[in-house]
Amino acid sequence: MRNITLSQAVNEALAEEMRRDERVFIIGEDVAEAGTPFKVLSGLVEEFGTSRVVDTPIAEPGFMGIAVGAAMTGSRPVVDLMFGDFIYLIMDQLCNQAAKTHYMSGGKLNVPLVLRTNLGATRRSAAQHSQSLHALVAHIPGLKVALPSSAYEAKGLMKTAIRDNNPVVIFEDKLMYNDKAPVPEEEYLIPFGKANVKRSGSDITLIGTSSMVQVCEKAAEILASEGIDAEVIDPRTIVPLDEEALLKSAKKTSRVIVVDEGHQSFGITGEIASRINEKAFYHLDAPVLRMGAMDVPVPFSPALEDITVPTPEGVAESARRLVAGEMIHAA
Amino acid sequence: MPHEVIMPALGMAQDTGLIVAWHKSPGDAVAADDVLFEVETDKATMEVPAGADGFVTQIRAQAGSEVPVGDVIALIGESREAVPADEKPADDATPAAADLPAGNNVILPALGMAQDTGLIVAWHKAPGDAVAAGDILFEVETDKSTMEVEAGFDGFVAALLAEAGEEAPVGETIAVITATKPEKPVKASRAGAPAVAPASAPQASAPAAKPSAPKLAKAATSAPKAAAPAAAGGRILASPKARRIALQQGLDLNRLAEAGHPQPYHVADLEALKSLPEKAPQIAQAASRRLTADLPSEGFAEFAAWAAEAGGLKDAVALLAGFAGASLGRDAIVVVESLGVTRAFSVPMGTFGNIAPADPASAPDLILRDLRMSRINTVTLGAEGAPSLTLTQAGEGLAITLECASHHLTATEAVSLLSNFAGRMEQPLRHLL
Repeated sequence: MRNITLSQAVNEALAEEMRRDERVFIIGEDVAEAGTPFKVLSGLVEEFGTSRVVDTPIAEPGFMGIAVGAAMTGSRPVVDLMFGDFIYLIMDQLCNQAAKTHYMSGGKLNVPLVLRTNLGATRRSAAQHSQSLHALVAHIPGLKVALPSSAYEAKGLMKTAIRDNNPVVIFEDKLMYNDKAPVPEEEYLIPFGKANVKRSGSDITLIGTSSMVQVCEKAAEILASEGIDAEVIDPRTIVPLDEEALLKSAKKTSRVIVVDEGHQSFGITGEIASRINEKAFYHLDAPVLRMGAMDVPVPFSPALEDITVPTPEGVAESARRLVAGEMIHAA
Repeated sequence: MPHEVIMPALGMAQDTGLIVAWHKSPGDAVAADDVLFEVETDKATMEVPAGADGFVTQIRAQAGSEVPVGDVIALIGESREAVPADEKPADDATPAAADLPAGNNVILPALGMAQDTGLIVAWHKAPGDAVAAGDILFEVETDKSTMEVEAGFDGFVAALLAEAGEEAPVGETIAVITATKPEKPVKASRAGAPAVAPASAPQASAPAAKPSAPKLAKAATSAPKAAAPAAAGGRILASPKARRIALQQGLDLNRLAEAGHPQPYHVADLEALKSLPEKAPQIAQAASRRLTADLPSEGFAEFAAWAAEAGGLKDAVALLAGFAGASLGRDAIVVVESLGVTRAFSVPMGTFGNIAPADPASAPDLILRDLRMSRINTVTLGAEGAPSLTLTQAGEGLAITLECASHHLTATEAVSLLSNFAGRMEQPLRHLL
């Protein structure tokens, strides 16, 4: 199988879906003539023209509003939000309009919209361009949230997102755009709400999202060399969440660490840990640990930035302590 | 039952509404969608329909008065007759209501959005005083400000139910104003007075209960909570899974704690719990036998070496089982625990060559515990499922302890077993003769 970058995989997904369905169009800043910031959209304006690859002024609320309206009236827009940090600007269009229109219209209107954006720190982009804000939208009923962890995942999830009749927010990790992975030539879709067991193990479960899946896999390799058998699971979508798969693994290993790049407090890790705690309590041999990004604005200083996010070594160290039966945060 | 017209909630953060004007008077016929009154909130003035067909029988709040949301402000009855005082709706039918003069209730108003109580700073009227709706009746202090509050009704102060300096929950009735001069005006304090029910304002009931309820609940729950750990001998830290498995398998985590095993306990620690010696019931302890024999020297090691060389009997543990079985004087299953390994032997009467391994699960007739390689020098393990012989090192020699329940062996049999076995261990060749 050929190896392609995550950028190429997303590009292919968009091109294939735009060829398949002429209602699909792309809208955002710098998506056409101006060139694309992460080289994801190269070649699309040449193939589909400026009526389906629409450059907008720097006005996120405006183009998001246009897209929501277009989706309600029969189009299937893919909105390109250059940085996940800008999601604050489009909260009303996304959370009050797109997320609620189907419900509030009594099912008469759909909003088949995809919001493509990104997350991830350690790119030296400072506090306003390095955030991982997927927890903000996962909190809102009516929005689906996908977190691809590789080129393969990005393509399959993007195609499913475009075909979904509800608003979907996809966060790509901006540090993974050049990461290559095997991606089949033939068409495939990845269903939402089906977790992917990346590695099977019996001693501890590492649940990772987006690029943290790689962090968990590396941690599992470190642990394997010490005789600790870790299972790694990628939920793929956090809304819907494959609770069944996560609980099954938690019951099997009785120890769980949840790793996510959003801020640790009030985030994805807490939500998943809490569900496992509620529904697998009597199978747990250790507290479920959360490992998110530090609760600080992402520093610009590389030395500081690197220690704000979970690392394979850090995850492995926590796993060791859980497996050894150490007292964790208890008195 | 007359239809109760309440002050509607017209805004999200609205606590009260100002009655601007009544469009009907007591006695007027009214249709459900006739405008009954106008109300002003901080955002707008609205006309409110009556909500029921009938006749206005009572108007309880005058134009110009501010009324909490949810309060009954008028009644619409089926006939023109006014509602007699003793048929007033439920909000006044409280234990204390019987003692209070019938009239218009003045409640403690909500002056802020998150206000639960207000401090009454001063009363500007005394019981029995005549009062006009626009007169200042009292001053109230909240966490934000102090405000003068108008009486809201014309008439006479028939009751003051809180003293200056006292706090009252929002919505609670703190004064009653009657149309006629009261014969016996009431003056009470909140501390001494019987509990005066809040007016019907829905937000009033919860805060009213606040001051005492949490304390009571705490007192009620704390007692059993304190008792539980005491009964268990202190709280034991263990994982949910370890606790569940312990429960399912009937294991007692307290025993691990008593044995000094470090907490918290996880599933792996249950193995340590299982390997703790069985706790013998007290009654069995009393009926058990314990005999000890001290040997200044032992000849078994030398004998075992000789037997391996001369007789091809290389398994010293089997020899030990043979000695023990022979000392019992009958065919026996002997279980030997040595250096952490447990082996079972079938020991028939007769020669050593007939000793064979037995099913480890079979019930032993005799247990032989070889602790010579350990530092343990005295054992009192209590009676087990079968008589047990324990070997411990004693200087150059050997100590042998026989423990059994009284029903395993008579006293004579026990003495005989230990004597025979001690003799064989001291002078093995005697066994062969």
